[in-house]
Amino acid sequence: MGESRNRTHPGWRWRSWSGRVFLVLMLAGSLLITVMSLEYFDFDSLPPFVIEKLPLRFQNLWLGALRVHVAAAALGFPLCLALMTRALQRRPRLHRWLGRICGVVLLFALVPSGAVLSFEAKGGRVVTAGFLLSAAIISLAMLAGVGAARRRDLIAHARAMRHVVAQMSVAVVSRALIVGLDAIGVDPAVAYVAALWGPVLFSATVVELISARPKLRAHHRTEQIERIDREIFPRSLVVRALAVVRPRARVR
Amino acid sequence: MLSLSFVPALASAEPSLAEWAQRRVETVIVKPLAERVTSRFSRSRPPPRERRVRITEAALTRDKQGRDFVPFAVDVRFGGDWQENDITGCVYRASGTLFVKSGDAYFPAALLFGKNVEPVVGVCQAAPARS
Repeated sequence: MGESRNRTHPGWRWRSWSGRVFLVLMLAGSLLITVMSLEYFDFDSLPPFVIEKLPLRFQNLWLGALRVHVAAAALGFPLCLALMTRALQRRPRLHRWLGRICGVVLLFALVPSGAVLSFEAKGGRVVTAGFLLSAAIISLAMLAGVGAARRRDLIAHARAMRHVVAQMSVAVVSRALIVGLDAIGVDPAVAYVAALWGPVLFSATVVELISARPKLRAHHRTEQIERIDREIFPRSLVVRALAVVRPRARVR
Repeated sequence: MLSLSFVPALASAEPSLAEWAQRRVETVIVKPLAERVTSRFSRSRPPPRERRVRITEAALTRDKQGRDFVPFAVDVRFGGDWQENDITGCVYRASGTLFVKSGDAYFPAALLFGKNVEPVVGVCQAAPARS
């Protein structure tokens, strides 16, 4: 009943579609970045992104971090996006295992390598600080999200994981902004700062606004917990199966 | 009188040292960089709208090994003002070889095109003046 009431809510359809569009765009962006980053694994030549950075203080460490970061992002971001879909959230065991893999990849590969790379970021210390802030949000949100999942606090888990995905989406949005700002003739030095800090702060704000909604409406929070309960626990599968095998008459 | 007026024109048929060096830099560095296709959806710096070559010293400079070179700089413009010395280096008169500076070292110009090349010691550096 709660779910059906949610679905008749005027904003439901818009939110549902905007969520899907976001996931599809981010997946496409992630694939594009992965394809563009394949040149970093050509060990015989240096891609333009690396040439611009020369001379590097610790070139081998930096190149190693770049390759780890690209590989971790190529695996981690699509995995995070998949974990946000209802299809995987309805399969708790698979969701849990993929979530663990995603957590390990992000915490032990993506974030540390990103932190190493951030110290040579174009745009100077301001951009370094932006990357480190994004990395801190991802790490803290991931740890908080894992803790919430273990406590079965699924609302807090969802909020924390939205922060993780939102900060990872900065990779796509930031690149799109760099292209857009270049098209209107903005100097790259300015574009790097704006295209990083803008999406980092905007993503965190949007997640807080989305996540704050259930707090404001207590009945929605209860509905959400009931819906998640219905969808992810094995009992719901049994109930559904029984409903198919032995349908009960409904009072109209 | 008429014949004398043609003398400068005849002299300009052969390019000056600065013109030769500028053409050499444009051929080896500027044009290939402009023609190179770079991925737009990356954190690489977008290609500049324009590049220009400046010959920073019109006369030949001699390095420690007695070879003559001409130092140059490439400036870039993205949308606003020119940013000077985006690339600096030198071109050798005899061989036409170009070197570019990265950090404190000079590398063959192939570095700009992704080649893993080692720095070359002693190039593009003027020999100390004899007293």
